[in-house]
Amino acid sequence: MLERTGIPTKEQIESITPSPERRAKGPVAVIECYQNIPCNPCYTSCRRGAIKELIDINDRPELSEEKCNGCGVCVYNCPGLAITVIDETYSETEALVKIPYEFLPLPAEGAYVTGMDRNGTPVCRAKVVRVLGGVAVDKTSVVSLAVPKELSMEVRFFKEDDFYTDNTIICRCEEITLGEVRDMITRGYTTIDEIKRLTRAGMGPCQGRTCRQLIMQEISRMTGQKPGEMKMSTFRPPAKPIKLGALLGGDDHE
Amino acid sequence: MNKTANCVIIGGGISGVAIAYNLAKKGMKDIVVLEKGYLSSGSTGRCGAGVRMQWGTEMNCSFAKYSIEFFERANEELEYEGDIEFKQGGYLIVAATEKEEQQFKKNLELQHRLGIPSRFLTPSEAKEIIPYMDETQIRCATFCPKDGHLNPFTSTDAYARAAERLGVTIHKFTEVTGIDTEGGKVTAVHTNKGSISTPLVINAAGGHSKRICDMVNVDLPLYPERHQILVTEPVDPLQGPMFMSFSQNIYCQQTPHGSFIMGRGDANEPRDFNMNASWSFMEEMAKTTCRLLPLLKDLRVVRQWAGLYEMTPDRQPIYGRVPELDGFIIAAGFSGHGFMFGPATGLVIAETVMGETPSLPMHLLDRDRFARGEEQWEPSVV
Repeated sequence: MLERTGIPTKEQIESITPSPERRAKGPVAVIECYQNIPCNPCYTSCRRGAIKELIDINDRPELSEEKCNGCGVCVYNCPGLAITVIDETYSETEALVKIPYEFLPLPAEGAYVTGMDRNGTPVCRAKVVRVLGGVAVDKTSVVSLAVPKELSMEVRFFKEDDFYTDNTIICRCEEITLGEVRDMITRGYTTIDEIKRLTRAGMGPCQGRTCRQLIMQEISRMTGQKPGEMKMSTFRPPAKPIKLGALLGGDDHE
Repeated sequence: MNKTANCVIIGGGISGVAIAYNLAKKGMKDIVVLEKGYLSSGSTGRCGAGVRMQWGTEMNCSFAKYSIEFFERANEELEYEGDIEFKQGGYLIVAATEKEEQQFKKNLELQHRLGIPSRFLTPSEAKEIIPYMDETQIRCATFCPKDGHLNPFTSTDAYARAAERLGVTIHKFTEVTGIDTEGGKVTAVHTNKGSISTPLVINAAGGHSKRICDMVNVDLPLYPERHQILVTEPVDPLQGPMFMSFSQNIYCQQTPHGSFIMGRGDANEPRDFNMNASWSFMEEMAKTTCRLLPLLKDLRVVRQWAGLYEMTPDRQPIYGRVPELDGFIIAAGFSGHGFMFGPATGLVIAETVMGETPSLPMHLLDRDRFARGEEQWEPSVV
C-alpha cells in the first residue's frame, strides 16, 4: 500500500499515534516515517533528546512522548516532510496541526483554507493560525492550522481555497447559506442579532448551536472585529424543543 | 456623526423608520434616526407582527386599514430587494362571553361603516375556517380576510433602506443621553457618539419613550409592561388566519415560514422594563392553546421571548406636539399595536411636521386628552 500510493495504512498510523494521555497534555510530534531510510536529521535536531538515538542510520525514529514538548524543530528539519506537531489543547473544539510546507505562495495568517487528509480528500475548514517561513526554519515553512479536534490525526495538508463556499449551508435548521450571511455583512449588518433576525439563521430548533460560531467567524473575517469582542445573541428557553402538550403543568399551579 | 440635522428621530423601530421615510418623501433633508441597538431591536422585533382592521374605535380601524393597505403594496413602493412576507390569511376573533358578543356586534357595525370587510360567524362557521378549533367553547366569531401577518424585521429593513435611498442617515448602536432646550425650544440631542444640533426631535422610542420625555421634563402618561411570545417548530400549512380571543387571552398565528407564533398578556404584570422570559407564561400559553386548539398540542416550542408594550391609560397611542416644548413631537404609547400602525404613524407624523392636515383622525390622540378627560378607550386588545 504505502510503497504503491504513498498513503500509510490504518495500522501503520495507529502504530505512530501518540497516546491519548499524552495528546491531552499539549503539543506533541507525530513522526510518520514508515520506512527504513538512511536519514537522521530528526534525531540530530531534537534538543530535548526526545527522539532515540538511531544506532543504525536506517533505523526508524522512535519518539519519547514524555521528553517531547512539541517545539516543532523536527518538523522543518525532516527532509521527507514526515513530521507534524498536533496540539489538542488548542481550544475546546479545535486542535492545532503544524504542517511542513514547501510551496509558494504561503497562505495568509487568519485565512480559511481547506484541510485535507493523507489521501488529499478535503475533510474540513481549517484556519491558518500561524505561518513560519524563511531562514529560521531552514526555508521549510511551518503552517499551523486550527482544525476540528477529532481531525487532529487526519488533516495533513491543505489547499488555499476556503472549504466553505457561498453555497455551504451553515444554519442547518433554517438552511441558510454562507452566501446569504456574507450578503448581509456586505450590506452593513455586522452583528449576530441582525443577521439572525433578517435571515433566520439561528432561529431553528438547535437555536444556533452550530451557526452562531460560524457567523461570528465570518463577521470577524470580513470586518476585522474580534470574536471575543462581539455581542452574542440571547440564549432563550427552552433549551430543547418541547411539545406544547408536555407543558400543560399540574393543577397544583392553579 | 452629523453635527446638525433638520430633524432627529429617536428610535429605529417601525415607527421611527416609517416617519423618516415619509418625511424624506415629502422633501425634508438632513433627517437623522438614532437607535440604541440595531434596527427593530426593541418592541418592533419582539412583537407578534399580526395586523388587523378589526378594532373597536374609529381611529384604530382607520389607522389599521391605512397600514394594511400600505403593507399590501410595501414591497413595490419601498422598492425592497427582500420580502416583507405579508400573508393575508385573515383574523378569526372569537367571543367566549355574552359581553364580548355584544361588543363584537358593535365593532362590526363600525367596521362596516368604514368599509372594512369583516363578517359575523357562528361557531360552526368559525370551525370551517379552523377545523381543529373546539367550537363548543365559543359563542360566535368575526372574521376579516384582509387581516394578516408580516415579518417585522424585513418590514423595518424595507422602510430603513428606502429612507436611506432618500438621504436619511441612520445611526445604529447610538444611544441618546440628553436633549438640550432653550427658551421652550429643542436645540440639540446628545448621544454616546456625539451631539447633533437640531430644532426638531421626534420621540419614537417605544418602551423607552418616557425616558426620553423625562430628559426634557415633558410629562408622558405611559408605562412599559412585559408581554411574552413563544414560537414553535415549522410545520406544513395548517392554519390560514390568526386565531384570537380577548377574554381567553390568546393570539395564535402560523407564519408563512410554517412556525406558530402565540402570545398572551398577564393582568398581574408589574410596570417595569423586565424583558426576561418566564416559565409561567409558557405553561399558561400551553393550557389555553391546547384547550381551544387541541390539535396543536404536539407542536414543539423552540423559543420564547418577551418585549415591552408601552401602555397609555386608554390603550391608544399618543401622537403630536406638546404645548410646553416647541420642536418636540411624540409618536409613542402604542399599547401593543405600534407595529401594525407603523405606516399610519409614519404618515400622520410626517404630515404634522410639514404643517399639513393629517389624512387620518389623529387629532383625538394628543397627549392632553387625558387631562381633558377625553380618553379614547379601545375595548379590543390582548
